[in-house]
Amino acid sequence: MKPKLLLSHKFKKAGWFIAIPATILMILAMYFDWEFSFLQYNSTAQHYNFDGEVLFFGISSHNFTTEVLSIILITGLLLLAFSQEKYEDERISKIRLESLMWAVLINTLLIMFSMIVFYGGYFLTVMIYNLCTPLIIFILRFNIVMYLDKRKMQRELAL
Amino acid sequence: MKNNLRVERAIMNITQAELAEKVSVSRQTINAIESNKYVPSTVLALKIAAVFTKKVEDIFILEEGD
Repeated sequence: MKPKLLLSHKFKKAGWFIAIPATILMILAMYFDWEFSFLQYNSTAQHYNFDGEVLFFGISSHNFTTEVLSIILITGLLLLAFSQEKYEDERISKIRLESLMWAVLINTLLIMFSMIVFYGGYFLTVMIYNLCTPLIIFILRFNIVMYLDKRKMQRELAL
Repeated sequence: MKNNLRVERAIMNITQAELAEKVSVSRQTINAIESNKYVPSTVLALKIAAVFTKKVEDIFILEEGD
């Protein structure tokens, strides 16, 4: 049975190489006001602002660091989540699906919890995190299960 | 579901790794089947039976409550 929608195993390494630096830069950008100066955009054209709404073509001055980093981070996470294991088989597909269910469940419960605890701007921050949390929870759960599986096997072989 | 994979493997004198390679799954999967932690798909069960040139029913046995 050939797995559908999965990339080859080598993309997993690429995923780590993209996701880890992107996460670090994202934290710097969000909490330490760090930004790439070359992503600064200043328009010289005349702009019309409708009730303070800012759409892509209406922007007169903006630094695109967080936008670019978000896309890079999500790309890295997608590569990590959607690449095959070295020996992909039907049992791993099952673990993968279980992890996905797990991730959706935990994420939804966390959002429900946040709805009660966080309001206004804080809740908006939660929603921003929510852009990547389902993927992150999935990747964590799947890799922990795979790691424990491998370690158990090695222990059995050592006996 | 029970199975006598371990016995069949001993008769044929092949390791988990060798069987895994023959049916193109990971060794962990064979190990999980043998310790009744994973129920293989029909395709995999048929493939395993083919390795031992036996019927699927001779290797995988339904249990009460299945």
